[in-house]
Amino acid sequence: MDFRFSPEEEKFNQEVRDFFIAEEQTVKEARKEWDSGLGYGPACWEILKKIGARGWLCPTWPKEYGGLETSYMNRYIVMEQMHYFLNIYSTVGAGMAGPVILHHGDEEQKTRFLLPIARGEVEFALGYTEPQAGSDLAALSIKAEDKGDHFVIDGAKLFNTRVHYAQYHWLGARTAVTEPKHKGISLFIVDLKTPGITISPIWTVGGMRTNEVFYDNVKVPKNALVGEKNRGFYYILEALDYERISSVSALERGFQEVLEYVKKTGKNKDPLIRQKLAGLAIEIETARLFALRVAWMLNRDKVPNYEAAMLKMLVSETEQNFVNTTMQIFGPYGVIQKGSKWTQLSGEYERIYRDSLENLITRGTSEIMRNLIAQRGLGLPRR
Amino acid sequence: MNFDLSEMQKILLNSAKGFLGKEGKNLAREMEKTDDGYSPELWQKMAELGWMGAVFPENYGGIDGSFLDLVLLLEEMGKALVPGPFISSMVSGLSILRYGDDSQKDKYLPRLIEGNSILSHAFSAPDPEMDESIVEETGSGKDGNYLLSGTRLFVPFAHVADLIIHAADTDKGKTLFLLDAKNPGINCIPFDSIAADKPCEVSLKEVKVHEGNILGKIGKGEEIVGKMQEWGALCHSAFITGMLEQVLRMSVDYAKEREQFGRKIGSFQAIQHQCANMSTGVDQVKFLTYEAAWKLSEGIPARKEISMAKAWASDASRRVCLLGVKIHGGTGVSEEHDMQLYFRKAKANEVAFGDGDLHREIVACELGL
Ligand SMILES: Cc1cc2nc3c(=O)[nH]c(=O)nc-3n(C[C@H](O)[C@H](O)[C@H](O)COP(=O)(O)OP(=O)(O)OC[C@H]3O[C@@H](n4cnc5c(N)ncnc54)[C@H](O)[C@@H]3O)c2cc1C
Repeated sequence: MDFRFSPEEEKFNQEVRDFFIAEEQTVKEARKEWDSGLGYGPACWEILKKIGARGWLCPTWPKEYGGLETSYMNRYIVMEQMHYFLNIYSTVGAGMAGPVILHHGDEEQKTRFLLPIARGEVEFALGYTEPQAGSDLAALSIKAEDKGDHFVIDGAKLFNTRVHYAQYHWLGARTAVTEPKHKGISLFIVDLKTPGITISPIWTVGGMRTNEVFYDNVKVPKNALVGEKNRGFYYILEALDYERISSVSALERGFQEVLEYVKKTGKNKDPLIRQKLAGLAIEIETARLFALRVAWMLNRDKVPNYEAAMLKMLVSETEQNFVNTTMQIFGPYGVIQKGSKWTQLSGEYERIYRDSLENLITRGTSEIMRNLIAQRGLGLPRR
Repeated sequence: MNFDLSEMQKILLNSAKGFLGKEGKNLAREMEKTDDGYSPELWQKMAELGWMGAVFPENYGGIDGSFLDLVLLLEEMGKALVPGPFISSMVSGLSILRYGDDSQKDKYLPRLIEGNSILSHAFSAPDPEMDESIVEETGSGKDGNYLLSGTRLFVPFAHVADLIIHAADTDKGKTLFLLDAKNPGINCIPFDSIAADKPCEVSLKEVKVHEGNILGKIGKGEEIVGKMQEWGALCHSAFITGMLEQVLRMSVDYAKEREQFGRKIGSFQAIQHQCANMSTGVDQVKFLTYEAAWKLSEGIPARKEISMAKAWASDASRRVCLLGVKIHGGTGVSEEHDMQLYFRKAKANEVAFGDGDLHREIVACELGL
C-alpha cells in the first residue's frame, strides 16, 4: 500500500500547479465566469485551450487524438488541480463523451471529435433527462426516426445544462419502442446549430443556468449515431460511470478557507466548532481516499462501478455537511448576500449553500447511488 | 498510489484467514464464560505463527514487519472477535522497543514474542469524586528505589498479565514503571464488562521498584503514554474495521436469505440503503486506518491520521452495528446469534484509547485550531 503520488507524478503535479499559478489572471476570470452560473465565457475557453494545448485534458488518450498516452493517475492529477483552481474538474467532452467515442465511435467520428475535445476547443452538453425520465433514464421518449439516409428527431429535453454554449448535444433518443424500454435507445451527437433546435433557460436556486431543449423535426445525418443503433443506453451507462469520477480538491480548498476564517476570528476556541470542523476534516479525508481509490483502479485498468457511486454520493453529501457547518459557524451573518458590509467571507457561502444542492441531484441522486452500492456492490436482489 | 497489499501481506492475510476460520469459531462466545477471558492455547499458536512478533525486529525473535502488517492481522482478529490481551501486549511491547534500554528489551521482548509473556498498561487513576476507597497516591524516590501506591482502572487483562506498565506521578513528573504483575503489593480485580474483555482495577500498596525499571526517562512519561495512545487507537481502529466488515457480511447474507411479504428482505430498498450506508462506513474506516498505518510504517508522523481513523471508527462502530442489529430483526437481539456479540464488543472498542469526541479534539488541534 502507498498513499502517495510517485516522484514522477509528484513532479507532474507540481508542473500542473505551476501552470495554473502562472495563469493567475485567466484563472481568476474563468472562475468568476463559472461561478456566475452561466457556464464557459471567454476566459474559460482560453484556459481550457491552454490546458488542452498541453495534452492535459485527455492525457490518457492516444497521441493521434491529442492525448499523451500517459497513465490515468496523471489525468487524476490534472482533474484535482483544475478543480482546485477553476471549480471545473473536466469538460463533458473530455470526461464523458470522449471516452465513449474512443471506445465505440467510428474512425470518422474519432477524427472529427477527439482532437477538438482534447484541445479544449469544443464542449458537449448532456442530453439525457426529460420531464418523465430523470432517474429512470430508460423512460426517455424523444423520438429519432430512421429515414434511411438521415434521422429525424422530435421531442423535448429538460435540465440540459451547457446547451447554450456547447457545440454538440450528447443526445439519448428513442429509436424503437421496446420492452424493456432501455433496448430502444440510441446515442447521437447533434450539432446544436442544426435548424429546428430551440432552447429556453431554466434557472436553479443557486443561480445556475440549465435549459429546456426542443427538437422540432430536426434532420440529423446518419453519422450522428454513436456506435450501434439501440445500444445507446449501455453507452450512456458507461459515460455515467465516468461522470461519477471526481476529486475533492475544491472542497478541500473551501474547508481550508473556512479553517483560516475560524482561526482569524477567534471562533476556534468554541468546542462545538472544533468538533464540527474536525469531523468535517475526517469526512473530507475519507472522500479523498475514495477518489484516490477510483483513480487507482482506473490506473490499473480496473472498472470502478459501485466504488464510483460511493464516491459520488459521499462527495455530494460531505459538501452539504460542509456548507451547512459553514453557515452555522457564520450564524445569522451567513444568510446575508454579497454586497453588504456584514457578510462573512464576502457572502460567497450564501451562494454556495444554494448552488451545492445541484450536486445532490445531478449525475444520479444519492438514492440511486445507494441502489447501485447495494445491488452492484453487495449483490442484493432487485426484487 | 497503491491500494493493494504486498505479496507478503497477502500470504500473511491468507494464513490468518485460514487459521482464524478454524480456530476462531465460537471462540469469543466460549471465552466469555472463562475467568481468564482469553485462550492461552490460542495465544501460543498465534505466537507460533509469528503474530506477536509481527512488528518487532528479528534480533528479538520478531519478523520485522510493518505497522500495516499488524493492522491487517488485527482486522482479521476483529472479524473473528478474537478476545485477549493482544493489543495491550503489542502497545506495551512497542513502548519498550522504542523507549526501553537494552536490558529491558532483552528481558521482555523475546518472552513476549515467544508468547510467554502478557503485557498491559495502567494509566487511568480513578476519578477522585467517585471513590473514597482510593489508595493514596505516592511515588517517592529514595536511594534509587521508588515506593508506589495508588489505583489504576481499566487496565486490560491485568489479572493474567506478567508485566504492567504503570504511570505514576513522581516529584519529577509523570514516570512509567515496569512492574512485575505478580508482585504481592499489586492487587488485581477484573470487572465484568459489556464486552467481557476484562478491564481490571489494579491497586498498588507500597510497591517497591528500582529505578532500573523506569521506562524511558524519569518525568518523561507523558510523551510515552501519548505514543502508546496513538498505537492503541490505531490497533483498535483496525480491530473495529474487521468487526464491521463481518457485521456487514452477516447482514447482507441475512438480507439475501430472509423472506417477508413473499420476498427477500434484501430486495426492500430501506434495507438496501442501510446496507449501502454500512458498506460506505466500512470503507471509510478501513481506508483511514490503512492510511494512518501506512504512514507509521513509513516513519511519517501520523497523529492526525490516527485520530481521524479512531474518531471515525469509534462512531461508525456504533452506527454500523446498530444497522446490523436492525437488519437482523429479533434475531439481532437474541443471545443465541452472534450479532449481539459484535454490538457489545463494538462499545468497548469505541471507548478504548478514546472515543470519537476525544479524537476529534486531537484532530482539531492538529488542524491548528
Ligand atoms: C442543475 C441541474 C443540472 C442538470 N444537468 C443535466 C444535464 O446537463 N443533462 C441531463 O441530461 N440532465 C441534467 N440534469 C438532470 C438530472 O440528471 C436529474 O434531475 C436527476 O437524474 C434526477 O431526476 P429527476 O429530477 O427527474 O428526479 P426523479 O428521478 O423524479 O427523482 C425524485 C426523487 O425520487 C427518488 N427516486 C427516483 N427513482 C428512485 C429509485 N429507483 N429508488 C429510490 N429513489 C428514487 C430520487 O432519488 C429523488 O429523491 C440536471 C439537473 C439539475 C438539477
